[in-house]
Amino acid sequence: MSSVIVCSSCDLAHRAGMPPFAAATRCARCRAPLQRPENGNIDVAIAVAICALVLFLMSNAYPLVGIQYNGTSRDTTLVGAALSLYRQDHAGLACLVFLTTVLTPFLQIAGLLYLLIPLRRGREAAGQNSVYRLLTQVRPWIFVEVFMLGVLVALVRLSAYARVVPGVAIWSCGLLMFALATLISRTTPAQFWRWVEERRR
Amino acid sequence: MSAAVTGRSLGLLVCLECRATVRALQVAYPRCPRCYAHLHQRKPHSLALTAALLLCAAILYIPANLLPVMYTNTLFDEERDTIMSGVLVLLHSGSWPIAVLVFIASIVVPLLKIVALSVVLFSAWRRSPRYRTQRSELFRMVEFIGRWSMLDVYAISVLVALVQIRSLAYVAVGWGALAFGAVVVLTMFAARTFDERLLWEEPQ
Repeated sequence: MSSVIVCSSCDLAHRAGMPPFAAATRCARCRAPLQRPENGNIDVAIAVAICALVLFLMSNAYPLVGIQYNGTSRDTTLVGAALSLYRQDHAGLACLVFLTTVLTPFLQIAGLLYLLIPLRRGREAAGQNSVYRLLTQVRPWIFVEVFMLGVLVALVRLSAYARVVPGVAIWSCGLLMFALATLISRTTPAQFWRWVEERRR
Repeated sequence: MSAAVTGRSLGLLVCLECRATVRALQVAYPRCPRCYAHLHQRKPHSLALTAALLLCAAILYIPANLLPVMYTNTLFDEERDTIMSGVLVLLHSGSWPIAVLVFIASIVVPLLKIVALSVVLFSAWRRSPRYRTQRSELFRMVEFIGRWSMLDVYAISVLVALVQIRSLAYVAVGWGALAFGAVVVLTMFAARTFDERLLWEEPQ
């Protein structure tokens, strides 16, 4: 049935060629993205994932931002933001911040490395299908870019009262934002399953 | 309008996980042969689930905007900030681009998302044949921008973590922030449970 492709947004059937495609196409009826060129290189995806992992570790190891006020100073890490909410008995909010800024990016990076490295060597990781499905479920919950803007808003509010000192993690987190976006667009479901099918053939 | 050739009319299912097109088999719980995800002609109970989640989000939008999201305690007084007063503080401190940004992300976007999802949900329920492409595009746009509403929750979490200079000044979280985070999460789930294809069903 590879000659017919059904739009997942409006159920319209289209005639389609075999992948990889020359250009991205959209559904003729609802304008949703239908197909994209799926000729990505798995080595590049792995390299981006490793890069993202390093940036993620840096973002969590170093302080994010600090303030100086009347001779006293204080800084916070990425986890520190969630932890401070937890200390104020707002466990629900703390969980939300921790999940969306620390756990989901880590799961995505680690999960993709777990799947892609064996795949490159011509094997399938244990539980591949469920792990990849979990990763696509997690994707909408990665909020690193929104968090970065939130940090900026907080710093603008503070800059009137105290001296703001940017930490190492704010730079690595800014780069992590781009690395994650690249990683996700390079491992779309269509692309990932194409790699798997090439191996199965 | 002549009947369009759809997956349903051809007996084809599309896997929402891996986008494979699969021939529908007469079994109780079909699964995708490629990624083994469950296949459905349409997402189960889509309209009811979306409506329920949306209603919860609309109710929580009220405390999210009325309750203080943050308390600032200094030596002399305590200030309580709602989302809106936070925007005004930013405006008065002279950083109006940031104030506009926060206003759009925290007040306009959640409201827009609740209204737009209601419109889309209602027209899917009515099987309205008009403006389908526009409604489809509205749904996808809203799904994309909704995440930026979390901006204020993150700003507050950083302020709370940084401003803890005991006896001089400290910042505490208010319950408004939790309501606000819940609105964002609920509208995200509402958008996920909504099946766009219901917008394109033939009118009965």
